[in-house]
Amino acid sequence: MNIIEVKDLVFEYKIYNDDGEVTGANRVLDGLDLSVPKGQFLAVLGHNGCGKSTLAKHFNGILAATSGTVTVNGIDASDEDHIFELRQTVGMVFQNPDNQLVATVVEEDVAFALENLGVPPEDIRKRVDVALQLVDMYDYREHSPHQLSGGQKQRIAIAGVLAMKPDCIVLDEPTAMLDPKGRAEVMDTVKLLNEQGVTIVFITHYMDEAVQADRVVVMDYGKIIMDGTPKEIFPQVETLREHSLDVPQATELMYELRKSGLDVPLDAVNEQECAEELLKLPHTQYIPEQEKAAETENDDVPYIAEIKKVTYKYSVGTPFEAVAVDNVSLSIKKGQFVGVIGHTGSGKSTLIQHLDGLLKPTSGEILIAGKNIWEKGYDIRSVRFMAGLVFQYSEYQLFEDTVYKDIAFGPKNMGLSEEEIDRRVREAAKAMGLRDELLERSPFDLSGGQKRRAALAGVIAMKPEILILDEPAAGLDPKGRDKVLDQISEYHKNSGTTILLVSHSMEDIVKYAEKILVMNRGRLFCYEDTDIVFSRTRELKQIGLGIPQISRLSHLLADGGMDIGKDIYTIERAKKRILEITKTNA
Amino acid sequence: MLNDITIGQFFPGNSVIHRMDSRMKIILEIVFVVMLFISQNFWGLGISCAFVIMVYAASGISFRLMLKSIKPLIPIIIFTAVLNLIFVKGNDDPLVSFWIITIYWKGIQTSLFMLLRIIFLIIGMSLLTYTTSPIVLTDALESLFSPLKKIKFPVHELAMMMTIALRFIPTLIEETNKIMMAQKARGAEMDTGGLIKRAKSMIPILIPLFISAFKRANELATAMECRCYKGGEGRTKLRQLKMTRLDFYGAMITLSVLGMVIVDNIAFAA
Repeated sequence: MNIIEVKDLVFEYKIYNDDGEVTGANRVLDGLDLSVPKGQFLAVLGHNGCGKSTLAKHFNGILAATSGTVTVNGIDASDEDHIFELRQTVGMVFQNPDNQLVATVVEEDVAFALENLGVPPEDIRKRVDVALQLVDMYDYREHSPHQLSGGQKQRIAIAGVLAMKPDCIVLDEPTAMLDPKGRAEVMDTVKLLNEQGVTIVFITHYMDEAVQADRVVVMDYGKIIMDGTPKEIFPQVETLREHSLDVPQATELMYELRKSGLDVPLDAVNEQECAEELLKLPHTQYIPEQEKAAETENDDVPYIAEIKKVTYKYSVGTPFEAVAVDNVSLSIKKGQFVGVIGHTGSGKSTLIQHLDGLLKPTSGEILIAGKNIWEKGYDIRSVRFMAGLVFQYSEYQLFEDTVYKDIAFGPKNMGLSEEEIDRRVREAAKAMGLRDELLERSPFDLSGGQKRRAALAGVIAMKPEILILDEPAAGLDPKGRDKVLDQISEYHKNSGTTILLVSHSMEDIVKYAEKILVMNRGRLFCYEDTDIVFSRTRELKQIGLGIPQISRLSHLLADGGMDIGKDIYTIERAKKRILEITKTNA
Repeated sequence: MLNDITIGQFFPGNSVIHRMDSRMKIILEIVFVVMLFISQNFWGLGISCAFVIMVYAASGISFRLMLKSIKPLIPIIIFTAVLNLIFVKGNDDPLVSFWIITIYWKGIQTSLFMLLRIIFLIIGMSLLTYTTSPIVLTDALESLFSPLKKIKFPVHELAMMMTIALRFIPTLIEETNKIMMAQKARGAEMDTGGLIKRAKSMIPILIPLFISAFKRANELATAMECRCYKGGEGRTKLRQLKMTRLDFYGAMITLSVLGMVIVDNIAFAA
C-alpha cells in the first residue's frame, strides 16, 4: 500500500514586478509523479533548486499544488478540513536545527505539537517520554536547546515530530549543517525509526547516506528523472554527474577500474561490498616502493606564520575555565596549501582565529611574516589584512546593497585609493568566478553558491598573505561545493597565497592540501605532508575522525589479504595500485 | 563580549520556594511590594525586610547573589538617597549647612528609609527570578492574565512571543558574535571613533543580523505549522501549574506579615 501518492503535480509561484503586477510564473514542479509505499526508506537527490524541498512541502499541506494531486493515506492534501490529520500523518524535519525548536526546554519542545492538538497533559507526558527515548535523548529532557550539539538538536526535532505518532517522516537535508558525528547520530536514528515501520523520505546531498536507503529518486527540472534501488542508480555514474550529483567513492572506483578493463561489477555501493568484489580478483602482493628519502623542504622559503607554544584558555578565573588550545607550536611556510582537520571542539577554530589576531593567546607567541603580532606598538588591525579569515557560512557577513560594494568593504577599510579598490574588487570577483554583471546585483539575490563566493571575494580583495577558510563548502550542493573549492585552488595556484582550509570533509581536504594539520583535544596531533598523515588513517580513525571512504576500503582489503598500501586516500591512487597487482597476475 | 549577558537568571533548586506555584509567587511578590510601601516607620520596614531575608534563607539562594542583584542599580539607589538627603526639610534646626546645601535630621531619616525600601524591593524581585525559570514565569503570567482573553487581549500570543524570545536570545547572541568577528576580520573598526562613526560601524553587523533573524522567523513559522500550531485555542500544556498546600502556607505567612505591618502602622499613628 502506498502512503504517499503524487499525480501530475505542478507547482508554480508568480513573479511580481515592483508595482505588484504578475509578470510571469516560475514553474518549480512540472508534472511530477511519485508513489511511496508504506514503510519505505526513500532518499531524494537533486541539486539545489531542483524542487526537492518544494515537493516535500506538498506532503503535509504547507504548499498547495497549482495542479495535480497529492494523496496521503487516502487524504487529499489540499483538503483544508483534514489539514491537522495530514500533519500528524506526515511529520517534517528541516535543515537548520536551531530554527525548528520552539521551546526553551527540550521536553517542552517535544510536547509542542501535542499541546497544539489539545492532547490531555498525562498523555503528553507519556508520549514525550517515549519519543525522547526513541531518539536516545531522554537524559537531556530538561536541558535547554542551546546547550546541545547540532546532532542532538536535530534528534530533538525528530522527537518533536515523533510525538505526533506519524506514519511518515520527511527530512529535508537534516544533516547538511552537522559535523560527521552529528550526521551519524541522525542517520542511526532515522534507520531505527524505519525499522519500526515509519516511512522515511530523506532529502540529502550526501551520497553515503542515500546509499543506505531502500530506494533513491533523482530530481531535476521539477521532475523525477531516475528512480530505483541504490544499486540500480549509483552505477550510472555519467548520468548522475550530468545532473551535478556525486557518486560514492566506492562506486566511482569500481567504475574507473571497469573503464580500465578490469572485470568488476558496478553495483557495489559501499566499501564492504566493494571490498568483497575486489577480494575475489586474483592478485599479487603490493610491494611498497623504496621509501623515498623525505623530500627536503626548500629552506629558502620563509615561514609566513609561526605559532610558538600557544595556549588559549576560555573564561579564565571562572569555574568555566577551559583550555581550548594547549601548547601548540608549528610553522607554516609561505605559499603552502594546508588542510586543517579535527572534530568539533578539537580547538582548530580557536587556533585559526589566533592567526588573524582575533584572539590573543593566554600564553605563547604568534608570528606573522616574522613579527610578533602582540608585541607593543604592533597594529593588530594590520594583521587582519595580512591574514584573511573567512568564517563558516560566510554569506551571513554580506550586508551592502550591491555585490561590488560588499567586496569593496575590506579594501575600503584598508584605506586604499578608489582605483586600487576598483581593481581589487574586479580581480577578486574574477578569481571567485563571479561574472561582471553580478557585481551590480544585490548580494541577497544570488544563489547559495554565488553568495558564498561573493563573501570569499570580499576577503580575497584584501590580498591577504594567508587565506584561512573555515568550512568554505559547508551546506552547499555537490556542484556548488566543487565550484567554490576549485576556485580557491585556482586562486592558490595563480596568486601563490598561503591557504589554510578547515574542513570536516576528508575527501575535499586530500584533493587540495599538500600538508595537513590535525588537532585533537586542543593539542596538535600532527602537522605533516598529506602522504604521511594519510598513511596513518587507522590512527586518525582512532581519534574519531572520519576518513575518506576509499581509505576505509583499503583497510578492508588489507584485512582480507589484499594490501594495496597504507597511503590510500584518493581514487586515482587506489585504482593505480589495484591495477598493478591484478594486471601482473593476468 | 556579549556572553556576559544573562537574562532572567534562574538558579535551579528544590527548596520550598522553588516548589511553590509560580502564580502564587507572583501574587505574593505583589503583596510584598505593597507591604514595603505602606510601612511608614522603621519597625514596619524592619518586619518586611526581615521577612524577605527569611524567605531567602528558605530558598537556599546565597546571600552573595542577593547582594549581587543590587549591584547594577547602585547609581540609582545613591541618586535617590542623595536627593532625599538634600531636599527633605525638617522643622528643627539643620544639622549641616553650607553653600546651598542644608541637611536636616529628617532628611537623613527619609533618605535611609528610601534606601532600604528600594534595596529590599530589588532583592525581593530578584528572588522571584532566581527561583522561577523564565519559562515557568511566562506560563504563570499567561495563566494569571487569561481572564483578559475575554476582552480580546492576545494573552496566548504574547506568552508565545515571550517563549520564542527566550529561546532565541542565546542563538542570536552567538550569531552577533560571529558576525562581529567576520566583519572585524574584514578590518571593520567598532571600538574607535565618535558616536556617529560608531553608530555607522554597527550597520555591517545589524543588517546581516536582521536578515538572518527574518530567515529564522520564516523557517520557525513553517516548522510550527508543520507541528499543527493554530494559535492558543484548544491548546493544552505539558506542564500543569498546580497550587498545593505549600502555596497555602506561603500565602498565610505573607499575609500575617502584612497584617503585622498594618497593625504597626496603626499603633504608631495613634
